[in-house]
Amino acid sequence: MVEDRLLVWRFNRGSKDALRRIYEKYKDDLLGLAVTLLRDRSAAEDIVHDVFVSFARACGTFRLSGTLKGYLSTCVANEARDRNRLRAGRDAGLHSAQSPVLNSPGPAEYVMSCEESEKLQDLLARLPYEQCEVIVLHLHQGMRFREIAKALDVSINTVQSRYRYGLEKLRSIVNGEVTK
Amino acid sequence: MRPTENIEGFIRKRKLHIATSADADKRILNDSFAAMETAKAKLTGSWRNRWTMVWASKVRRLAAAAVIILLIGFVIVHQVSRRQTDGQAVMEAAKSPAEMLTFVSLTMAYRKGGIDALERQCEQAVELLGPRREDLSIGELLEELNSNGMNSERTEL
Repeated sequence: MVEDRLLVWRFNRGSKDALRRIYEKYKDDLLGLAVTLLRDRSAAEDIVHDVFVSFARACGTFRLSGTLKGYLSTCVANEARDRNRLRAGRDAGLHSAQSPVLNSPGPAEYVMSCEESEKLQDLLARLPYEQCEVIVLHLHQGMRFREIAKALDVSINTVQSRYRYGLEKLRSIVNGEVTK
Repeated sequence: MRPTENIEGFIRKRKLHIATSADADKRILNDSFAAMETAKAKLTGSWRNRWTMVWASKVRRLAAAAVIILLIGFVIVHQVSRRQTDGQAVMEAAKSPAEMLTFVSLTMAYRKGGIDALERQCEQAVELLGPRREDLSIGELLEELNSNGMNSERTEL
């Protein structure tokens, strides 16, 4: 948190090193988020690109009012939502994405975790976008409901409802009891 | 598949970790640096533009000049008044010790016995001290007073 504040301070003073450090710190996290939301590797990379370029444009005037990770995650989520609206109905598929890189000790566990990750991606893809977004932002990005509500410009109750319904639906899908 | 009760834990653990490619890193960083440079240039330009805006209009130029003159005037007045205050303080501190002692003794007399005591004290002071030099040091005055006291004791004896 303090490190992020310092990085933002240096970034505002035009330090390229600070920008590079911010990028290296959060790039994988943000790419993972974008891929989870869009299920398209190249589109996800474009989103990360656009988010960092617009972040760089705010050099000298950027004011951080929460966590840097939260801010960047929100930007990625917003961009992903816009793109998702544009390409609604089109199935890009996760096949273009690189295999997930997990910290697994052995090849067998690596394969298992890859399978589970892909399964999770499939499960999340079956949720309405709004529910998937809230679940991923909360469980993967560690954002609080209040933060998510502020970022998405909806009430905290709406965020909590989306989260609860999303989890219920996931649970139902896993149990083989698909609720409609 | 894991037990479904802990669906939150399952999702949390299965966070997708994808490493960005070196090409993508290079492209994103280069574009970001370029955007940063543009933003910096724009920011510097906006300050320059403000100055240009001020100097372009005659009225604004006059207003800016008036503000600067007022500021300079304020600083000068402030400095002068500060020096005067400092000088007064020095003058007050440089009053003669005789005056200071007289003032203290008169105050004490007034507090103890009112205006009558003050008058008596004045008479005694005039009798004892009489007119003194302004540059008389406190040491000299005390010495003189002591010697007067001893003399008066001797006289009484």
